[in-house]
Amino acid sequence: MGTTASQLGKELLSEYQELTFLTKQEILLAHKRFSELLTKDEKDLPNTKVSMERILTLPELKSNPFRKRICHVFSTSEQKDGSLTFENFLDLLSAFSDSATLEIKSHYAFRIFDFDDDGTLDRGDLEKLVNCLTGETDDTRLTPEEMRQLIDNILEESDIDRDGTVNLSEFQHVISRSPDFVSSFKIVL
Amino acid sequence: METKLQIHDTGNGYPGDQQLLRLRRASSGQSHQNYPQFNQNSDPTEEEEEGVEEVDSSGPNVELRNTPLPMAIKRAVWKSQQMQDNRASSSKSWKQKNKKSLRNLRSITREAGQFFTLWGKSLQLIGGNFGGGVQSYFLFLRFLVILNFFSCLLIAGFVLIPSIIFRSVGTSLENSTGPEECMKYDPNPPGLVLFYNYFLDLLSGTGFMEYSYLFYGYYNNTQVAEESFSYNIPLAYLFTAVFYFAFCLICLIIRMGNAARVAVATGGSAVGSYSMIIFTGWDYGCLGDQATRLKQKNIHYQLQVDLEEEALSRRAASLTACQKIVHYTLRVVTFLIALGLNAAAFYGIFEATNFSQQNSGRAGFLGLFFEYLPSIAITTANFVVPLLCDQFALIERYSPSTTVILVLLRAVFLRLLSLGVLILTLWQQITCDGNANSRDCSLCKYNNKDYPCWETRVGQEMYKLTLFDFLVNLAVLVLVEFPRRIVVDHCPNKLVQWFGRQEFAVPHNVLGLVYGQTVVWTGALFCPLLPVINTIKFVILFYCKKITLFHNCRPALKTFRSTTSTIYFLVTLVFGWGLATVVMIYSLAEIQPSMGCGPFRFFPTMWSIVPTSFYNLSAVTQDFLFFIGSQAFSIPLFVFSCVVMCYFIALAAVYGKSVALLRTQLKLEGRDKKFLVRQIEELSRQLERPNANSGAHS
Repeated sequence: MGTTASQLGKELLSEYQELTFLTKQEILLAHKRFSELLTKDEKDLPNTKVSMERILTLPELKSNPFRKRICHVFSTSEQKDGSLTFENFLDLLSAFSDSATLEIKSHYAFRIFDFDDDGTLDRGDLEKLVNCLTGETDDTRLTPEEMRQLIDNILEESDIDRDGTVNLSEFQHVISRSPDFVSSFKIVL
Repeated sequence: METKLQIHDTGNGYPGDQQLLRLRRASSGQSHQNYPQFNQNSDPTEEEEEGVEEVDSSGPNVELRNTPLPMAIKRAVWKSQQMQDNRASSSKSWKQKNKKSLRNLRSITREAGQFFTLWGKSLQLIGGNFGGGVQSYFLFLRFLVILNFFSCLLIAGFVLIPSIIFRSVGTSLENSTGPEECMKYDPNPPGLVLFYNYFLDLLSGTGFMEYSYLFYGYYNNTQVAEESFSYNIPLAYLFTAVFYFAFCLICLIIRMGNAARVAVATGGSAVGSYSMIIFTGWDYGCLGDQATRLKQKNIHYQLQVDLEEEALSRRAASLTACQKIVHYTLRVVTFLIALGLNAAAFYGIFEATNFSQQNSGRAGFLGLFFEYLPSIAITTANFVVPLLCDQFALIERYSPSTTVILVLLRAVFLRLLSLGVLILTLWQQITCDGNANSRDCSLCKYNNKDYPCWETRVGQEMYKLTLFDFLVNLAVLVLVEFPRRIVVDHCPNKLVQWFGRQEFAVPHNVLGLVYGQTVVWTGALFCPLLPVINTIKFVILFYCKKITLFHNCRPALKTFRSTTSTIYFLVTLVFGWGLATVVMIYSLAEIQPSMGCGPFRFFPTMWSIVPTSFYNLSAVTQDFLFFIGSQAFSIPLFVFSCVVMCYFIALAAVYGKSVALLRTQLKLEGRDKKFLVRQIEELSRQLERPNANSGAHS
């Protein structure tokens, strides 16, 4: 498909504009930044997969606490190793772009927070989520007592059907009440 | 087992289907997933067909980029959609072509908008490193810069440029009918002017600056009337001032409407604050290890504070009656003390203004000091009183969000009423306490001895306030903030380290902006170029504040939500606008304009030029305008607007009820789902038992 060729074809460019929320400038910039991650011989091959370690050298993702989950969610690789092709990368930027809708952002946010990929956020997922948010070092972690109180409060507020987990619609219900979510769920190159 | 391609129905996500699917997979031993699975080994054409089916079932115009699918699948669906489009009727494809061109147009305008956004990159950087609260201050500042810039264009276009062009051409409107005394006005001082007087004049707007386009006194009441073109400068001056206020109000309301709409839609939920922080708290625009660690510390602190507050409130609910009484009396006492401090500050400013007016006219630097005395008094009060009131916040122990709002509201009234006291004192001096028969004011209905051109004088006061505010900001930056950082960075003393680098105090800075803008609004009628000066001042302030933010400040530990805070900033700005409007209306309608200067010099009030010019209009226009002003039109209009308002209130109530209804429906669905799942499990158990029995037997 020539997606990693040195120049993006015009037809391909308009296709990407149609299928993502990105503008032409943003797609070209993404192509440039993605090509910088490739080695010389990889540049000529179509559809190369870039390993997760190399993707995570991008400054926009390097210090994000959810970087590994983001790579896993957008990766379509069979080995489930979080490697991304250029089209995966565009999907990532589209979901995180300025013009993406609340629906798609909340959907991907849910998948990123679902650490065990089981379709719901249970206590384990929520605990890992809170640890990512507060930092992994000992002095920034919450005490077990505080963690228990916090997760009880979260489930109290968002688990409407009282099954002990937060599913996608409950998650979207919480997100829809937040005015700052769309503007904070943004990664711009 | 073959995995089926299921395109997730976007956004609706009824839990029923997915959970059933999950259960089916559970029974077949597959992994639990309720999102689209993409099996790369299966036949591509088969998937395309399935994809087409699913997409068709959810509607013909599914927004493809809004589906959470990998690019390859989206492309396949899109190609099949295009094939369908080619086969579809011409009208449908015309509609879709329209949609596509509209979307293209929208994306082009969005790109153009991004290109023209002022300081976009800087704001992003500020938000990433210091959070939404600080960013909201800079967004507010940018809004004020743009507002002032368009006001400049308005005033320049309708008042300044015509005045310059028609200065020599036009004719004077009315001839002099007033007493000779009142028309004496000589702004140029006689004789030799000492060299440092130029500098003093620049700072106080007197001397060479007084008789210039800067102030009201220089404009003439010229009127140009040729065959095809007529321009009435006084009328233009008046209408521009009125329209300037209306324009500012409309901009404020639009901006507030945007923010309020979001706040109302989310219901101002007190419920859901923990889930909100956890699910929406992370800012993905945060770049760099340091910013990330700071943000994490921020969230950690926020969570700890909230959890502690919850524990505190639980403890407070279980307080004994005696302790509650102590707590509430403490709050009442601090409220009274705050009120007392404010009152003392007002009295001090009043005295300073009186003293300054009595001793004005002195030469040299002492005279300059007396001239600036009201400004100095106002600034000192605005510095000291909020500092003291902040200490009360520790005793009162309100929740953090309430504390922030209280701080803002207490301080805004102090700032605006300080300005109000100054204006009131000026009014007293100009109109001799409103007594038209007192000794000084009996001749010209205003105090023409001290104020031969009182509008210019008021304009000068506002000009001085603006300039002084700007100079104080710069001085604080250079003399306080930079040295503080240098001391903290290089002095290992424990006390100094505990004091630490300063935080960027958002409410304090926002009030500075509101105060500056209110001064400009108040003075715009008397000093038409004041918005120009203000635009330049705010632009320089933006860069100065940005520099001090990045070099001298540390990120705040407590941040507040940016949408709610933006609304309160705009509310305080509306208070300022209200004060300025009162001043403008009073000046237009009640006070006799100066007879020695200005475009209104021979009219009894500034507003009286409107009826005079009104009768020059054609008869049809006059009748039309009379009709609009009459009762026959205004009462039906009033009734109609009441009806429209009632309709919107009813609509809002209905939406609120339907939100509550949908919520209970969601709960019921969950219960139904659990019931069905139990039924399925029981049935499957029953099916397995006979099979097991028959299997055992055979």
